[in-house]
Amino acid sequence: MKNNPDRQEFILVFRTNINRKKDVKSLSPLLDGCSEIIRWNIDLSDCDNVLRIEATHPNHEPVIHLVTKAGYNCEELTD
Amino acid sequence: MRTRDINKETVIREKAIEMIVEHGFEGLSMHKLAKAAGVSVATIYIYFKDREDLIQQLYAEEMQKMVEATLRDFDPESHFDEGLKVQWLNRMNYCFENPYSMFFTEQVKHSPLVDRSNIDTRFLNAMHRFVHRAIERNEIIPLPVEIYWSIAFAPLYQLVKFHIAKSSMPGRPPFILDEEKINLTLSLVIKALKP
Repeated sequence: MKNNPDRQEFILVFRTNINRKKDVKSLSPLLDGCSEIIRWNIDLSDCDNVLRIEATHPNHEPVIHLVTKAGYNCEELTD
Repeated sequence: MRTRDINKETVIREKAIEMIVEHGFEGLSMHKLAKAAGVSVATIYIYFKDREDLIQQLYAEEMQKMVEATLRDFDPESHFDEGLKVQWLNRMNYCFENPYSMFFTEQVKHSPLVDRSNIDTRFLNAMHRFVHRAIERNEIIPLPVEIYWSIAFAPLYQLVKFHIAKSSMPGRPPFILDEEKINLTLSLVIKALKP
C-alpha cells in the first residue's frame, strides 16, 4: 500500500503485459471511466510495463480485476 | 501507510544520473536503478510516473541547482571583465562539485526530451542583460550569440573537462585547473571579445 499524504491519494503500481500503444488506447475508456482512478499511466519504456494509478482508495484488487477482465496480465508490483 | 522518504528519493536521483552518464539513456532501467539505489521498483514508481518523467524531473532539478550556483554573487550590471570572472568561477566550482550533473545536463540538452521552456528565465534574462549592457558600454563587440558563447564559455568547459578527466593530451601529466590558469585563459578570452 502506497499513499501520498499531501494529496489524499493512493499510488498503486502493477506489473502488466501491456506493451503496445494500441493496448494502452484500448484500455483507456475502461480506466478513464473508473471514478476511483484519478490519474493513470503505463510505462512502455520499461520491461515491467508498469501500470501506475493514482486512486482514491488503497486497494489493488479492483484494478487487477478490471484489467484482467479486459484480457491482460496484471499483478501488484510488490517491494 | 508509507510516507515520502527524502533520503530514498535523493539516492534514486543520484544513482539515475550516474547510470545515464555512464551508460546513456538506454542504460537506465527501473530494475537496475532500483538495485543500485537499494529500493524496490515499486518505490521508484511512487516518486516518478515513468522513465521519461524521471529524466525530466532530474533535468529540471539539476538545471535549477546549476542556475542558483551560476547566479551567486553575479551582478548583470557589472563590468564585463569582472562579471565574466564571477561566471567562470561559479561555473567551474559547480562543475567540480557536481561532475555527473554537468555531463548529465549536457546529454539531456542535446536530446529531444527537453525544449527551452524548461530553462529558468531568470538565468537567460541575467545573461542577456549582462551581455547587452557590456555591448552598450563598448566593453565587448556584438556577435551572434552562438559565437559569443563559444568564445566566452567553451574554453572554460573544455579546461574543466581536462581537469575532471585528470588527463589532457596523451603523455601529459594530469591537468589541474587552478586560479592562475583560469586567469590566464580568461584574459585571452576577454581580449578576443574586446572591440
